[in-house]
Amino acid sequence: MAIRDLDAVLCEARKRGATFLDEPAGKRILASWGINVPRSCVVRADVEIQAAVSAMTPPFALKVVASGVVHKSDVGGVCLNLRSAEEVEFAIAQMQPRLFAKGIEPCCWLVEEMVPAGVEVVVGGLVDPEVGPMVMIGLGGVFVEVLKDVAFRICPIANLDAIEMVEELRGGPLLRGARGQRPVSIEALVHVVLRLGGEDGLLMACADRVAEIDINPLIVTPDHAFAVDARFILRRSE
Amino acid sequence: MIAMSAHTAFKPLFEPTSIAVVGASATTVSGGNRFIRHLRNFGYAGRIFPIHPTASEIEGLPSHRSLAEVPMHVDYAYIAVAAHHAAEVLRSGRGNVRFAQVMSSGFGETDGGSALEAGLVLAAREAGTRLIGPNCLGVYSPKARVTFTEKTSPDPGTVGIVCQSGGLGIDIIRRGQNRGLRFSGLVTIGNSADVGASELLEYFFNSPDTALVGLYLESTREGRRLFEVLQAGKARKPVVLLKGGRTSQGRRAAASHTGALAGSDRSWDALCRQTGSTMVDTLDEFLDALLAFQCLSLRRMPSKDVVLFGNGGGTSVLGTDAFDRCGFQVSPFDASTVASLTALKLPAGSSFTNPIDVPAGALQQDEGRVAERIIDIVSASGQADALVIHVNMTVIMSFRHVDMLGNIVEAALKVRERSASSMHIALVLRSDGESDIEESKREYRRIAVQRGVAVFDELSSAAKALAGVRSVEVFRAKRQVD
Repeated sequence: MAIRDLDAVLCEARKRGATFLDEPAGKRILASWGINVPRSCVVRADVEIQAAVSAMTPPFALKVVASGVVHKSDVGGVCLNLRSAEEVEFAIAQMQPRLFAKGIEPCCWLVEEMVPAGVEVVVGGLVDPEVGPMVMIGLGGVFVEVLKDVAFRICPIANLDAIEMVEELRGGPLLRGARGQRPVSIEALVHVVLRLGGEDGLLMACADRVAEIDINPLIVTPDHAFAVDARFILRRSE
Repeated sequence: MIAMSAHTAFKPLFEPTSIAVVGASATTVSGGNRFIRHLRNFGYAGRIFPIHPTASEIEGLPSHRSLAEVPMHVDYAYIAVAAHHAAEVLRSGRGNVRFAQVMSSGFGETDGGSALEAGLVLAAREAGTRLIGPNCLGVYSPKARVTFTEKTSPDPGTVGIVCQSGGLGIDIIRRGQNRGLRFSGLVTIGNSADVGASELLEYFFNSPDTALVGLYLESTREGRRLFEVLQAGKARKPVVLLKGGRTSQGRRAAASHTGALAGSDRSWDALCRQTGSTMVDTLDEFLDALLAFQCLSLRRMPSKDVVLFGNGGGTSVLGTDAFDRCGFQVSPFDASTVASLTALKLPAGSSFTNPIDVPAGALQQDEGRVAERIIDIVSASGQADALVIHVNMTVIMSFRHVDMLGNIVEAALKVRERSASSMHIALVLRSDGESDIEESKREYRRIAVQRGVAVFDELSSAAKALAGVRSVEVFRAKRQVD
C-alpha cells in the first residue's frame, strides 16, 4: 500500500513537471509510511469550510498550498490557533489578498488539527553524491541551520544507529526532560527515523526519485511524534 | 566467495614473483631505473624485466622490447612513460600482465585528461590487466622486498595502507617507521581509475598478514562501496581514515534544511560512526592512531579510566585536561591504593592521587626502580583502563649517573608483560629537541614499540590516539563484535 501510494504521488508530480511535493502530498506519503501526521482536510476558499472541518477538533492550523511556495511561513501563508470553522474562513479571507499581492495564487488550503506541545525535532533525508541516501535528525526548529546540532547516518540504518543519532545531539537533554519538562518519547522519535532511514524505510524506497526530505518540525511529545510539516524535493528527471 | 578472491586476487600485487619495468632508460637515470635500483637494494628476490624498445641491457639486466616478449607471466608491471603512451604499453602486455601500476600523471587529475584516463582503463580491460593508478608512486611490501623509495624498513609488520597520494605515501612509510610502525603493505592508488580503495581494503581485511588498515583518501567515486566493505568488516580489524578535502566540498544551494546541513564532512563522519572506523584530521594523528592500534590489544570493556604517571606538575595538569577533552576520566585513587603508594615512602613533593606526579629527584630512589613498584600498584588497583607514563626527558637525562629513563621504560615493559590485566600502557617521551635527547628518545622509542608499548611525543597526542582505540572498543562492545 505504502509503495503504491508513494509511486502514485511521485509519478503524478513528475508528470506535472513539479520540482517538489506540496504539503498534503508529502504528508500522504508519510502517513502511508507509518509516520503520524495531524488530522487534516484540504479545502478551497469558495467551498463550505464548516462541513469540511466538522469531524475535526480545534484548534486548527491553516496553511496555504500554492505551486512554487516551499517556505509557507516566509510568505505569510500560515495561521495558527484557529478555534472554529468561522475563524478559518476569516483567516483565509484575510490572507488571500496579501498572497495575491505577492504574486502567489493559492490552489487550496490545508486545515489541520494542532498537535499537543512537545519538542520540535527536524528529521530529514537526502541523497549524498558519494554515499547515497542519508538520514538526519537535528534540534533547533527553524534555527537548525544556525545551531547545526544534527546527526547524519548513511542508509539503511539499524535501531542502534537511530538511538546513537539521538545520543549524539548536544541538545539531547531537551528530549530527556530539561528544566522540569516531561521527557519526550525517544521511542516515537526513533520510529520516525527508522521509517525514513531504515532497511525498509522511505529513503531506500525513493532515493532514485527524491533528492531531499525535510520533516520540520516533527513534534515529539511524551507519547507520540507528529510530522507537522513535510517537504519533498524531487530529483530532476534526466 | 568475494572475500576469498579479494585475498588471492591481489596477492601478485603484494608478493610478485616477476616484475616488468617500463620507462627505465639505457642512458640516464629515470624513475624506472631508480625503481630497479630500489628493488635490488631492498633485496627483491624475484625476476626483474626491464622493457625498452631498443636497448639490450638496462641496469645490467637483459632488456625486452615489449611486455609481450617477457618470457614469463608478469605479476606486476611498473609503468612510468608519458601519459599518451601508457595505454599502448598496457595493450602490448595483453594476456601476460596481472597488475600494472601507471605512475605517469596527466590523466583525470588534469583539465582535459579524462578521455586519456578512460582510454587507459579500456586498454587495461582489453589486456586482462588490473590497473593501479594512474598518477601514483608505487607499492611497498617489505615481506616481498618490494619498495618504490629509499630507506624503507625491511621488517614486515601488520599495518596495511591504501594511500591516494604518492608523496604522502612516502611520508607515511618514512615518518611512520620512525615512530615504530611496521607495514604489511602500502599501495599508492592515485586516480584509482580501475582498482579502488574498497577492493584493496577488502584484500587487507582478508589477508592474515594485516591486523589494521590506514586509508588516506581524497576524492572517491566509490564512497558507497567503501561504506559497505567497512560495515561488513565490523571493525574486527581497526581502520584509521585520513580524508582530504572534507571541508572544501560545499554542496549546491540546497532547498531543504537537511540539504543545507549536509556535506562531505557529514557523510564521512557518519561512515566512521557506523563502521567503527577512526577519523583523524592530520598525518601525525593518523600515524599516532595506527601506532596505538598496532601496539595495544583492544579491551572488551571499553577504556574509560586513565591514570597518568610522570614527572612534571604542569604537564600532569595539561595532560589531565587533554584526556578529559577526549572523553576519559582521570579520577582520584581509592584509599587503599593511596595507602599502598604512600607506603613507598617517596620524598616530599610527590603526589599520589591521580595523576601521580613524582619529581625526577624522587625517581632516583633505588636507581629509579621505584617506578616499577608504582606501576605495579596502579595495575593491581584495577582503577586504570589505561596507564600513561610521561617523562620529561630533559630533566630525567640530567641525572646522568643512573639510567633512570631506561629503568622507567623497563618497568613499564615488565609490568605489561607479567600483568594479567588488560590495562593499556602508553609512554610519552617529551623531548626538548636537543640532538642528544632526540637520539636517546629514538632509541627508547624503538625498544618500547618493539615490545608493544605505544610511544607518543605529547600527552595530547596520546589522548587522541587512545580515544580512537576507545571508540573501536565501544563500537565492538555495543555491537557484540568479538
